Amino acid sequence: MDVREGPSDAEVVARVLGGDREAFGLIVRRYESGLLRFATRVLGSRDAAADAVAESLVRAYRHLASCRDPTRLRTWLYRIVANRCKSHLARRATGDVSLDDVPPIADPADNEAALERVQQLAVVEQALATLSSEKREAFVLKHVEGMSYQEMAAVTGERIPTLKMRVHRAREALLKALEERS
Amino acid sequence: MNPIDPRIHQVLDGEIPREALPQDLRRVVERLESAAALLAAAPEGRSVAERVLARLRRPARSPVRRLAQWLTAPHPVTLRIRPVWSLALAATLVLLMLLPEERSVPVLGEHEGIAQFVARFPGAHSVQVVGSFNDWRTGTIPLEDRDGDGVWRAVVVLPAGAHEYMFVVDDERWVPDYSANRFVEDDFGRENSVLIVRPVKG
Repeated sequence: MDVREGPSDAEVVARVLGGDREAFGLIVRRYESGLLRFATRVLGSRDAAADAVAESLVRAYRHLASCRDPTRLRTWLYRIVANRCKSHLARRATGDVSLDDVPPIADPADNEAALERVQQLAVVEQALATLSSEKREAFVLKHVEGMSYQEMAAVTGERIPTLKMRVHRAREALLKALEERS
Repeated sequence: MNPIDPRIHQVLDGEIPREALPQDLRRVVERLESAAALLAAAPEGRSVAERVLARLRRPARSPVRRLAQWLTAPHPVTLRIRPVWSLALAATLVLLMLLPEERSVPVLGEHEGIAQFVARFPGAHSVQVVGSFNDWRTGTIPLEDRDGDGVWRAVVVLPAGAHEYMFVVDDERWVPDYSANRFVEDDFGRENSVLIVRPVKG
Protein backbone atom coordinates (compact mmCIF):
# COMPACT_ATOMS: atom_id res chain seq x y z
CA MET A 1 0.00 0.00 0.00
CA ASP A 2 1.28 3.46 -0.80
CA VAL A 3 1.79 5.17 2.50
CA ARG A 4 0.80 8.48 0.95
CA GLU A 5 -2.67 7.12 0.48
CA GLY A 6 -5.04 6.78 3.37
CA PRO A 7 -5.84 9.28 6.08
CA SER A 8 -4.34 12.76 5.94
CA ASP A 9 -1.52 13.79 8.24
CA ALA A 10 -3.92 15.87 10.32
CA GLU A 11 -6.21 12.86 10.79
CA VAL A 12 -3.33 10.59 11.80
CA VAL A 13 -1.98 13.18 14.23
CA ALA A 14 -5.45 13.47 15.81
CA ARG A 15 -5.62 9.69 16.20
CA VAL A 16 -2.20 9.53 17.84
CA LEU A 17 -3.01 12.38 20.19
CA GLY A 18 -6.25 10.59 20.98
CA GLY A 19 -4.25 7.63 22.33
CA ASP A 20 -3.77 5.47 19.23
CA ARG A 21 -0.01 5.03 19.52
CA GLU A 22 0.21 2.53 16.67
CA ALA A 23 -1.15 5.14 14.26
CA PHE A 24 2.19 6.90 14.55
CA GLY A 25 3.60 4.02 12.51
CA LEU A 26 1.71 5.45 9.56
CA ILE A 27 3.58 8.74 9.92
CA VAL A 28 6.90 6.94 10.30
CA ARG A 29 6.37 4.88 7.15
CA ARG A 30 5.11 7.88 5.24
CA TYR A 31 8.14 10.06 5.86
CA GLU A 32 11.05 7.90 6.93
CA SER A 33 12.33 7.37 3.41
CA GLY A 34 12.71 11.10 2.69
CA LEU A 35 14.02 11.85 6.17
CA LEU A 36 16.65 9.11 5.89
CA ARG A 37 17.70 10.35 2.45
CA PHE A 38 17.99 13.92 3.73
CA ALA A 39 19.94 12.94 6.87
CA THR A 40 22.24 10.63 4.91
CA ARG A 41 23.14 13.43 2.50
CA VAL A 42 23.74 15.91 5.29
CA LEU A 43 25.66 13.56 7.58
CA GLY A 44 27.39 11.46 4.93
CA SER A 45 26.75 8.29 6.88
CA ARG A 46 23.81 5.93 6.63
CA ASP A 47 24.27 4.67 10.17
CA ALA A 48 24.44 8.16 11.66
CA ALA A 49 21.44 9.16 9.56
CA ALA A 50 19.41 6.16 10.79
CA ASP A 51 20.23 7.10 14.40
CA ALA A 52 19.34 10.75 13.81
CA VAL A 53 16.04 9.92 12.12
CA ALA A 54 15.04 7.31 14.70
CA GLU A 55 15.78 9.70 17.57
CA SER A 56 13.95 12.50 15.79
CA LEU A 57 10.85 10.39 15.21
CA VAL A 58 10.72 9.33 18.86
CA ARG A 59 11.09 12.96 19.82
CA ALA A 60 8.38 13.94 17.35
CA TYR A 61 6.01 11.40 18.89
CA ARG A 62 6.65 12.73 22.39
CA HIS A 63 6.10 16.32 21.31
CA LEU A 64 3.39 15.72 18.76
CA ALA A 65 0.96 17.93 20.65
CA SER A 66 3.29 20.87 20.00
CA CYS A 67 2.93 20.46 16.24
CA ARG A 68 0.66 23.44 15.83
CA ASP A 69 -0.26 22.80 12.21
CA PRO A 70 -0.55 19.06 11.47
CA THR A 71 -1.10 19.86 7.80
CA ARG A 72 2.56 20.92 7.78
CA LEU A 73 3.73 17.79 9.56
CA ARG A 74 6.31 17.06 6.86
CA THR A 75 8.27 20.27 7.32
CA TRP A 76 7.93 19.92 11.12
CA LEU A 77 9.54 16.47 10.95
CA TYR A 78 12.28 17.69 8.63
CA ARG A 79 12.98 20.51 11.06
CA ILE A 80 13.48 18.07 13.94
CA VAL A 81 15.79 15.91 11.81
CA ALA A 82 17.71 18.97 10.55
CA ASN A 83 18.32 20.08 14.13
CA ARG A 84 19.39 16.60 15.11
CA CYS A 85 21.85 16.53 12.20
CA LYS A 86 23.24 19.93 13.25
CA SER A 87 23.83 18.64 16.78
CA HIS A 88 25.50 15.56 15.38
CA LEU A 89 27.79 17.61 13.14
CA ALA A 90 28.61 19.99 16.00
CA ARG A 91 29.70 17.05 18.13
CA ARG A 92 31.90 15.89 15.27
CA ALA A 93 33.89 19.15 15.60
CA THR A 94 34.02 19.81 11.87
CA GLY A 95 31.02 20.01 9.62
CA ASP A 96 32.72 17.81 7.07
CA VAL A 97 31.04 14.59 6.20
CA SER A 98 33.14 11.52 6.53
CA LEU A 99 31.58 9.39 3.83
CA ASP A 100 32.33 6.46 6.10
CA ASP A 101 29.76 4.30 4.44
CA VAL A 102 30.79 2.17 1.58
CA PRO A 103 28.88 3.40 -1.46
CA PRO A 104 26.37 0.90 -2.78
CA ILE A 105 28.09 -1.62 -4.99
CA ALA A 106 26.31 -2.83 -8.09
CA ASP A 107 25.50 -6.49 -8.25
CA PRO A 108 27.69 -8.17 -10.95
CA ALA A 109 24.49 -9.43 -12.45
CA ASP A 110 23.38 -5.88 -13.03
CA ASN A 111 23.85 -4.40 -16.39
CA GLU A 112 26.51 -1.92 -17.36
CA ALA A 113 24.17 1.04 -17.00
CA ALA A 114 23.53 0.21 -13.35
CA LEU A 115 27.24 -0.03 -12.67
CA GLU A 116 27.79 3.32 -14.30
CA ARG A 117 25.02 4.85 -12.21
CA VAL A 118 26.70 3.62 -9.04
CA GLN A 119 29.97 5.18 -10.14
CA GLN A 120 28.26 8.46 -10.98
CA LEU A 121 26.52 8.46 -7.61
CA ALA A 122 29.85 7.97 -5.85
CA VAL A 123 31.27 11.00 -7.68
CA VAL A 124 28.25 13.15 -6.80
CA GLU A 125 28.39 12.05 -3.15
CA GLN A 126 32.06 12.94 -2.97
CA ALA A 127 31.41 16.32 -4.57
CA LEU A 128 28.52 17.01 -2.17
CA ALA A 129 30.73 16.10 0.76
CA THR A 130 33.07 18.97 -0.09
CA LEU A 131 30.30 21.53 0.56
CA SER A 132 29.81 23.13 3.96
CA SER A 133 27.02 21.59 6.04
CA GLU A 134 24.81 24.65 5.47
CA LYS A 135 25.19 24.50 1.70
CA ARG A 136 24.74 20.74 1.70
CA GLU A 137 21.53 21.06 3.66
CA ALA A 138 20.24 23.82 1.39
CA PHE A 139 21.01 21.92 -1.83
CA VAL A 140 19.46 18.67 -0.57
CA LEU A 141 16.28 20.32 0.71
CA LYS A 142 15.84 22.24 -2.52
CA HIS A 143 16.86 19.77 -5.17
CA VAL A 144 16.73 16.32 -3.59
CA GLU A 145 13.68 16.77 -1.36
CA GLY A 146 12.11 19.19 -3.82
CA MET A 147 11.05 21.78 -1.26
CA SER A 148 10.00 25.33 -1.99
CA TYR A 149 11.94 28.16 -0.37
CA GLN A 150 8.98 28.68 1.96
CA GLU A 151 9.11 25.07 3.13
CA MET A 152 12.86 25.34 3.51
CA ALA A 153 12.37 28.40 5.69
CA ALA A 154 9.98 26.42 7.89
CA VAL A 155 12.55 23.61 8.19
CA THR A 156 15.66 25.67 8.80
CA GLY A 157 14.25 28.76 10.48
CA GLU A 158 16.22 30.93 8.05
CA ARG A 159 14.87 33.77 5.92
CA ILE A 160 14.04 33.06 2.29
CA PRO A 161 16.65 35.46 0.78
CA THR A 162 19.31 33.81 2.94
CA LEU A 163 18.26 30.38 1.76
CA LYS A 164 18.15 31.49 -1.86
CA MET A 165 21.70 32.79 -1.60
CA ARG A 166 22.78 29.60 0.12
CA VAL A 167 21.27 27.41 -2.60
CA HIS A 168 22.95 29.51 -5.30
CA ARG A 169 26.33 29.17 -3.58
CA ALA A 170 25.73 25.46 -3.11
CA ARG A 171 25.03 24.96 -6.82
CA GLU A 172 28.20 26.81 -7.74
CA ALA A 173 30.30 24.85 -5.26
CA LEU A 174 28.84 21.55 -6.36
CA LEU A 175 29.42 22.29 -10.05
CA LYS A 176 33.02 23.19 -9.31
CA ALA A 177 33.54 20.00 -7.28
CA LEU A 178 31.96 17.92 -10.06
CA GLU A 179 34.18 19.52 -12.68
CA GLU A 180 37.25 18.71 -10.60
CA ARG A 181 36.19 15.07 -10.55
CA SER A 182 35.29 14.65 -14.22
CA MET B 1 34.20 29.63 -6.35
CA ASN B 2 33.10 30.81 -9.79
CA PRO B 3 29.67 32.40 -9.90
CA ILE B 4 27.55 30.81 -12.57
CA ASP B 5 25.31 32.59 -15.02
CA PRO B 6 22.35 33.98 -13.02
CA ARG B 7 19.95 32.61 -15.62
CA ILE B 8 20.88 29.10 -14.50
CA HIS B 9 19.63 29.92 -11.01
CA GLN B 10 16.53 31.51 -12.46
CA VAL B 11 15.68 28.35 -14.38
CA LEU B 12 16.40 26.09 -11.40
CA ASP B 13 14.26 28.34 -9.20
CA GLY B 14 11.43 28.20 -11.73
CA GLU B 15 11.57 31.91 -12.51
CA ILE B 16 12.20 31.61 -16.24
CA PRO B 17 11.57 28.70 -18.65
CA ARG B 18 14.39 26.38 -19.59
CA GLU B 19 13.90 27.29 -23.23
CA ALA B 20 15.14 30.79 -22.46
CA LEU B 21 18.64 29.42 -22.03
CA PRO B 22 21.27 28.87 -24.70
CA GLN B 23 22.35 25.27 -25.22
CA ASP B 24 25.59 25.45 -23.17
CA LEU B 25 23.78 26.84 -20.12
CA ARG B 26 21.08 24.18 -20.47
CA ARG B 27 23.77 21.55 -20.15
CA VAL B 28 24.87 23.08 -16.82
CA VAL B 29 21.28 22.97 -15.58
CA GLU B 30 20.98 19.34 -16.66
CA ARG B 31 24.21 18.47 -14.91
CA LEU B 32 22.94 19.82 -11.60
CA GLU B 33 19.55 18.19 -12.11
CA SER B 34 21.07 14.81 -12.87
CA ALA B 35 23.29 15.05 -9.77
CA ALA B 36 20.21 15.79 -7.67
CA ALA B 37 18.30 12.95 -9.32
CA LEU B 38 21.09 10.50 -8.54
CA LEU B 39 21.05 11.57 -4.90
CA ALA B 40 17.27 11.31 -4.74
CA ALA B 41 17.15 7.85 -6.29
CA ALA B 42 19.91 6.34 -4.17
CA PRO B 43 18.85 3.77 -1.59
CA GLU B 44 18.41 5.50 1.74
CA GLY B 45 19.30 2.60 3.99
CA ARG B 46 17.33 0.35 6.28
CA SER B 47 13.96 1.30 7.65
CA VAL B 48 13.90 2.67 11.17
CA ALA B 49 10.15 2.10 11.59
CA GLU B 50 10.43 -1.01 13.76
CA ARG B 51 13.12 0.59 15.89
CA VAL B 52 11.03 3.71 16.47
CA LEU B 53 7.82 1.81 17.22
CA ALA B 54 9.63 -0.52 19.62
CA ARG B 55 10.86 2.54 21.52
CA LEU B 56 7.36 3.96 21.68
CA ARG B 57 5.89 0.67 22.98
CA ARG B 58 8.40 0.55 25.81
CA PRO B 59 6.69 1.71 28.99
CA ALA B 60 7.80 5.16 30.00
CA ARG B 61 10.09 5.25 33.02
CA SER B 62 8.85 7.07 36.04
CA PRO B 63 10.47 10.49 36.66
CA VAL B 64 12.00 9.17 39.90
CA ARG B 65 13.55 6.22 38.10
CA ARG B 66 14.82 8.47 35.32
CA LEU B 67 16.41 10.77 37.88
CA ALA B 68 17.98 7.83 39.71
CA GLN B 69 19.32 6.44 36.43
CA TRP B 70 20.71 9.83 35.45
CA LEU B 71 22.41 10.24 38.81
CA THR B 72 23.99 6.81 38.73
CA ALA B 73 25.02 6.75 35.07
CA PRO B 74 28.44 8.11 34.18
CA HIS B 75 28.30 11.33 32.15
CA PRO B 76 31.13 12.54 29.97
CA VAL B 77 32.34 15.97 31.00
CA THR B 78 34.04 18.09 28.39
CA LEU B 79 35.89 21.24 29.34
CA ARG B 80 36.64 23.55 26.47
CA ILE B 81 39.24 26.11 27.47
CA ARG B 82 40.40 28.92 25.26
CA PRO B 83 44.18 28.90 24.73
CA VAL B 84 44.63 32.07 26.80
CA TRP B 85 42.69 30.55 29.70
CA SER B 86 44.57 27.28 29.43
CA LEU B 87 47.81 29.26 29.84
CA ALA B 88 46.38 31.05 32.88
CA LEU B 89 45.25 27.72 34.33
CA ALA B 90 48.70 26.19 33.78
CA ALA B 91 50.35 29.22 35.46
CA THR B 92 47.99 28.94 38.44
CA LEU B 93 48.77 25.25 38.83
CA VAL B 94 52.51 25.95 38.73
CA LEU B 95 52.08 28.67 41.37
CA LEU B 96 50.09 26.35 43.58
CA MET B 97 52.83 23.75 43.28
CA LEU B 98 55.49 26.31 44.16
CA LEU B 99 53.62 27.70 47.14
CA PRO B 100 54.78 26.32 50.49
CA GLU B 101 52.66 23.45 51.55
CA GLU B 102 50.07 24.45 54.10
CA ARG B 103 50.54 22.35 57.16
CA SER B 104 47.44 20.70 58.39
CA VAL B 105 46.39 21.44 61.92
CA PRO B 106 47.37 18.48 64.06
CA VAL B 107 44.65 16.68 65.89
CA LEU B 108 45.85 16.19 69.42
CA GLY B 109 45.07 13.24 71.58
CA GLU B 110 44.16 13.50 75.21
CA HIS B 111 47.74 12.91 76.42
CA GLU B 112 49.64 14.84 73.79
CA GLY B 113 51.14 18.26 73.61
CA ILE B 114 52.96 20.52 71.19
CA ALA B 115 56.72 20.84 71.36
CA GLN B 116 58.68 23.53 69.59
CA PHE B 117 62.38 23.06 68.97
CA VAL B 118 64.43 26.14 68.17
CA ALA B 119 68.20 26.16 67.77
CA ARG B 120 70.75 28.54 66.30
CA PHE B 121 73.26 26.88 63.98
CA PRO B 122 74.54 29.45 61.45
CA GLY B 123 76.07 27.84 58.38
CA ALA B 124 74.58 24.40 59.06
CA HIS B 125 73.21 22.41 56.11
CA SER B 126 70.81 20.29 58.12
CA VAL B 127 69.58 20.05 61.67
CA GLN B 128 67.40 17.33 63.15
CA VAL B 129 66.21 16.46 66.58
CA VAL B 130 66.55 13.02 68.07
CA GLY B 131 65.44 11.84 71.49
CA SER B 132 63.55 9.40 73.59
CA PHE B 133 60.39 10.18 71.60
CA ASN B 134 61.86 8.79 68.35
CA ASP B 135 64.26 6.24 69.77
CA TRP B 136 67.17 8.54 68.92
CA ARG B 137 66.73 7.83 65.23
CA THR B 138 67.85 10.40 62.72
CA GLY B 139 65.82 11.29 59.66
CA THR B 140 62.48 11.56 61.44
CA ILE B 141 62.21 15.16 62.73
CA PRO B 142 64.14 17.67 60.62
CA LEU B 143 64.30 21.34 61.62
CA GLU B 144 63.85 24.04 59.00
CA ASP B 145 65.54 27.34 58.37
CA ARG B 146 63.29 28.89 55.70
CA ASP B 147 64.74 32.39 55.72
CA GLY B 148 68.39 31.26 56.06
CA ASP B 149 69.05 33.29 59.20
CA GLY B 150 70.66 30.31 60.92
CA VAL B 151 67.74 29.75 63.30
CA TRP B 152 66.24 26.28 62.84
CA ARG B 153 62.75 25.34 63.95
CA ALA B 154 60.42 22.37 64.19
CA VAL B 155 57.01 21.98 65.78
CA VAL B 156 55.84 18.47 66.57
CA VAL B 157 53.25 16.69 68.62
CA LEU B 158 54.71 14.54 71.35
CA PRO B 159 53.30 12.46 74.16
CA ALA B 160 52.95 14.44 77.36
CA GLY B 161 55.80 13.96 79.81
CA ALA B 162 59.58 14.38 80.03
CA HIS B 163 61.72 13.70 76.96
CA GLU B 164 65.49 13.68 76.57
CA TYR B 165 66.79 14.99 73.27
CA MET B 166 69.73 16.35 71.27
CA PHE B 167 70.24 18.06 67.95
CA VAL B 168 72.12 16.41 65.10
CA VAL B 169 73.84 19.00 62.93
CA ASP B 170 74.88 18.14 59.35
CA ASP B 171 74.27 14.44 60.14
CA GLU B 172 77.41 14.20 62.27
CA ARG B 173 77.47 16.59 65.26
CA TRP B 174 75.32 15.63 68.21
CA VAL B 175 74.68 18.80 70.18
CA PRO B 176 72.51 19.35 73.28
CA ASP B 177 69.99 22.17 73.30
CA TYR B 178 71.74 24.68 75.50
CA SER B 179 68.62 26.75 75.92
CA ALA B 180 66.85 23.89 77.71
CA ASN B 181 66.01 24.31 81.37
CA ARG B 182 67.11 20.82 82.38
CA PHE B 183 69.85 18.43 81.40
CA VAL B 184 70.65 14.83 82.28
CA GLU B 185 73.76 12.81 81.76
CA ASP B 186 73.35 9.78 79.55
CA ASP B 187 75.10 6.39 79.70
CA PHE B 188 77.88 7.64 77.39
CA GLY B 189 78.80 10.55 79.59
CA ARG B 190 77.09 13.13 77.40
CA GLU B 191 74.56 15.70 78.48
CA ASN B 192 71.06 15.43 77.07
CA SER B 193 68.56 18.24 77.15
CA VAL B 194 65.25 17.56 78.82
CA LEU B 195 61.91 18.81 77.58
CA ILE B 196 58.66 18.69 79.51
CA VAL B 197 55.62 18.39 77.26
CA ARG B 198 52.33 19.25 78.89
CA PRO B 199 49.05 17.89 77.54
CA VAL B 200 47.00 20.50 75.69
CA LYS B 201 43.72 19.01 76.92
CA GLY B 202 44.55 19.06 80.50
